[in-house]
Amino acid sequence: MSAQVNQDKRYVMAIDLRRCVGCQTCTAACKNANATPPGVQWRRVLDIETGEFPDVQRTFMPVGCMHCANPPCMHVCPTTATKLRADGLVTIDYDICIGCANCVMACPYDARSIQHIAKYAYGVPMKSEEARFEPERLGVATKCTFCKDRIDLAAKTGQTPGVDPEVTPACVNSCISDAMHFGDIKDPNSNVSKLLAKTEHFRMHEELGTDPSIYYILDGEEA
Amino acid sequence: MSAADKASGAVTSAKSVPSFCYNCVSGPDFLRVKVENGIATEIGPNFDGDRIHPARGRPCVKAYGLVQKTYNPNRILTPMKRTNPKKGMKEDPGFTPISWDEALDTIAEKLKAIRAKGVIDEAGLPRIAASFGHGGTPSNYMGTLPAFLAAWGPVDYSFGSGQGVKCVHSEHLYGEFWHRAFTVSADTPHTRYNISFGANVEVTGGPTAVIRHADARIRGYKRVQVEPSLTITAACSAEWVPIRPKTDPAFMFALIHVLVREHGVEKLDIPFLRDRTASPYLLAPNGLYLRDPDTSKPLLFDEASGRVVAHDTPDVRPAVAGRHKVARAITVDADAARQEFADVEGRTAYQALVDHMERYTPEWASQICDVPADTIRRIANEYLEAASIGETIEIDGVTLPLRPVAVTLGKSVNNGWGAFECCWARTVLAMLVGALENPGGILGTTVRINKPQENRHMSVKPGDDGFMIQYFNPTGPNSWEAQPTTRNLHRTMVPIVGRNGGWSQALGPTQLAWMFQEETPEGWNWPKPTYPELWFVYRSNPAISFWETRRLAEAAAKFPFMVAFAYTVDETNYMADLLLPEATDLESNQLIRMGQTKYMEHFWDHIGVVLRQKAVEPQGEARDFSWIAAELARRSGLIDGYVAQLNRGISGVSPLKGETYDFALDAQSALDPDKVWDAVCKAATVTLSQGKECHGLDWFKEHGFYAIPQSRLGWYLTPTLEKQGLRYELPYQERLLRLGRELGNRLHENEIHWWDEQLTEYVGLPDWHDVPGRWERALVNAGGSLEEFPFWLLATKSMQYHSGGNAAIALMDEVSENLHGATGVIINDKTAEKLGIGENDRVEVRSHIGATYGRAALVKGVRPDTIVIIGQFDHWATPYIKDTERASLNTIAPMSVELTDATGSGADIVRVAIRRADKAAAA
Repeated sequence: MSAQVNQDKRYVMAIDLRRCVGCQTCTAACKNANATPPGVQWRRVLDIETGEFPDVQRTFMPVGCMHCANPPCMHVCPTTATKLRADGLVTIDYDICIGCANCVMACPYDARSIQHIAKYAYGVPMKSEEARFEPERLGVATKCTFCKDRIDLAAKTGQTPGVDPEVTPACVNSCISDAMHFGDIKDPNSNVSKLLAKTEHFRMHEELGTDPSIYYILDGEEA
Repeated sequence: MSAADKASGAVTSAKSVPSFCYNCVSGPDFLRVKVENGIATEIGPNFDGDRIHPARGRPCVKAYGLVQKTYNPNRILTPMKRTNPKKGMKEDPGFTPISWDEALDTIAEKLKAIRAKGVIDEAGLPRIAASFGHGGTPSNYMGTLPAFLAAWGPVDYSFGSGQGVKCVHSEHLYGEFWHRAFTVSADTPHTRYNISFGANVEVTGGPTAVIRHADARIRGYKRVQVEPSLTITAACSAEWVPIRPKTDPAFMFALIHVLVREHGVEKLDIPFLRDRTASPYLLAPNGLYLRDPDTSKPLLFDEASGRVVAHDTPDVRPAVAGRHKVARAITVDADAARQEFADVEGRTAYQALVDHMERYTPEWASQICDVPADTIRRIANEYLEAASIGETIEIDGVTLPLRPVAVTLGKSVNNGWGAFECCWARTVLAMLVGALENPGGILGTTVRINKPQENRHMSVKPGDDGFMIQYFNPTGPNSWEAQPTTRNLHRTMVPIVGRNGGWSQALGPTQLAWMFQEETPEGWNWPKPTYPELWFVYRSNPAISFWETRRLAEAAAKFPFMVAFAYTVDETNYMADLLLPEATDLESNQLIRMGQTKYMEHFWDHIGVVLRQKAVEPQGEARDFSWIAAELARRSGLIDGYVAQLNRGISGVSPLKGETYDFALDAQSALDPDKVWDAVCKAATVTLSQGKECHGLDWFKEHGFYAIPQSRLGWYLTPTLEKQGLRYELPYQERLLRLGRELGNRLHENEIHWWDEQLTEYVGLPDWHDVPGRWERALVNAGGSLEEFPFWLLATKSMQYHSGGNAAIALMDEVSENLHGATGVIINDKTAEKLGIGENDRVEVRSHIGATYGRAALVKGVRPDTIVIIGQFDHWATPYIKDTERASLNTIAPMSVELTDATGSGADIVRVAIRRADKAAAA
């Protein structure tokens, strides 16, 4: 059962696996945009090999928080730090999170991290790391936010996430193969709604009832 | 910013700065730098360019490492001098900070002393050498240094760092020769079928290739990746064919066999073969063109009149195939040796091809390539069908043939032994179906051996025998360069590399320069090569990126004086006498061209210029490269020449003074980089806009780039040849055959025989010559055995590290680890099991010259007889990466004349053994 009903909006990501080349540009762009420390990747691309030589396939699959409509992480959170917004974003309130890691264990997508001490790329903080250090992220669960601040900006500016770069997640903006798309699936005219209407797609571990917000496109025409 | 703001982390100033990334040959790619409180914090796309830049304003993963590159605590941030006079891998250089004045004056004194002696030394070689890294990319970061070097005069670019011989070398040389294609690309926006022999475009083609191939996949094009391992590009292809290493020519010969012998000329593009190629030219029994006795013009048979006529006779219908009687003719061999013929049967060059390919059946190739014959035949048939001969496309009102098939080649396929055959076969496959420089087929993206670089069409001029003009290094008795003037012997040994200044020289056999510093071959009858008295190095680390890198490092240690523009200490500048910290990517200005003149898939719908912009102040004492160049010029007494070169436009885009404009610099203004780039910006925009617009540096700082539309008609060379009535010099290679014979004559007259094997590459039509066997024989000749070293070791690339010299960037290390094997030793899982090797085990990979160590990555997507190492690692000096253990092919692949082909290149392949490192230690 979905934990969320009567949503006006639901932001989702649609990723065309035919386009993804595993370049990790989205991974690096996310780390740039969100200043995550070494070893913490809110977005990353899996490299999956199947078959036996010489009939082998290799697939690249961007993953991160699935912003589930029925998020297991939220259900196990003892402090209500993890919440589900009306627009479908799963959020973490760092002021409330106690870093218990229940959510880390509960997430079937391995999307959450907890760092207890500050880490820097070269051991000592660089100017760029100092400038963007957020102490409130220590000792709490962190994960992909769908670049929440940009989504919130859209509400103020009237721009459309997934269309206007300023209010679109950094990973989607960065994607050099145009594999990643973002938008409001509740809007039948959104880019993602049109794309998903025309393509074959699936969601990861859908059988778990998490109702995830990342769709993986396998085949079909583009909108 | 107030102390309170700083303490609170408040952002008091923020800006977004447009710039570009050219960290690999697939640039420039647009980007923006977010700068908060004067600190670069974030890289992102520049969406202002989404309709100009083919990749929609997006840079690849490497660009996102530029923030770390800027603030890396391991940077060299002040000039340093060496205090330990001993040089070597085990000698601490004792680098000590000095002032810029001391550093620059030291260099200037050296330069003046050298100049006083003469810029050429007693061996006839330049006293100054310079090495720049991957594929010309450093020129997009070195500001006005080219003006300084040009003002100096002769500089030896012989000491390569991998570029020149480990690049797609044979493709560069033969590509320019056959169709002005320094790099050869599929016309991906129009291609429907692509056979890719190891062309790893999803890794090395940059965002432009990535988006184009992604779009092509969605619209249903098919790419067949023929390669020993399941690389990223293979993974993204419709089909992967795991071919035995270095047997690609055999596969391609079989494709040609299917086309010309199983299908025949009627199924091919007869008008293209007839009018745009030398297929109709008649060959004498001696393998040379039959020529008119009076004019020496090649002859062909006119089907309309039934007569044999000169190739340029108007209103004829040349016969593509067949044998035809010729009453009277001559042939012209090496050194103008003429032979007369009467009543001789000549066969067309196409017919010679058909005859030649008879034995190269798919069944024959199957045994060599370890690929089923049915697969090869099916691919050939698919290629021919997809060529859709007869189809046309309209581009900007002009109707052109549409031949949407391409054969593309990757590194180690198109360099080293076998590369000539691959480049030839690929180009012939295009020729047979009319896909050469026509929409949908293969095309060249720029020229470097020919001029002008900014427009390859302008390099097309009539030359001999109805072909384009070529600028070979002369091989005649009186014109051959009998004593080398560069340490890599490029003018003496490699006619086809040409004589277009630095580019031709840098594309010479650069491993010879390294090897012959230590030991010259038997029969060397020139002066012993000297060390350069002063060696400049920038964005180049040959002690990591060349072959036999430990030996190379020790060779570099013997150079008397080395000046390195240094980002961090590295394995090459460890031998330096001076380290100079230049302002890096985000810290200085430079305007460069974009579109049309670049490599890989950089044929755009626009041409123009783009600014690399100083987003933040340089760290420490790092200085703008253009300031360093100007100071070197001023202090060494070369300022007038330097200014003259700047005004010629050498470090910019256009001359700074033209008929309708004058932004010329004087000696004073040339010292100020901002004034230099302001003038360059203005001259570029005035030229591009044909006088309609003029924008200076301030305009570019805001807008980032300036572009004008470019018709896609400019992508294809065939219409240009058609306008001039010229033919492609295909399929027969009479000119190369003659060149090789002349070169052989010169060498043998001088009792030089150590290049004899290379002379065998000069043939009219190539034969299979057991290409992998050359490496096997080299191993046996070195005292090893195939049983002892049973595997092939290959190298390939990752986008994160491709040619960016960014091994010191922690972010690249982190994200590359998401790809299996990206930093390890890739081995087939079943092979590993037999050897008792498990995932992530520390392994030793050993060749006959040494060993390298890393972690095993067990995969299913690699041939059982092949090991693959991605990237170029095994660092021992570069901070950060030296603390990891990364294997590298370069450590254990030998430099050798035996493994050098006629163009001067080798390949990244070596026979190896592999075992768990604990077993190695116990042995």
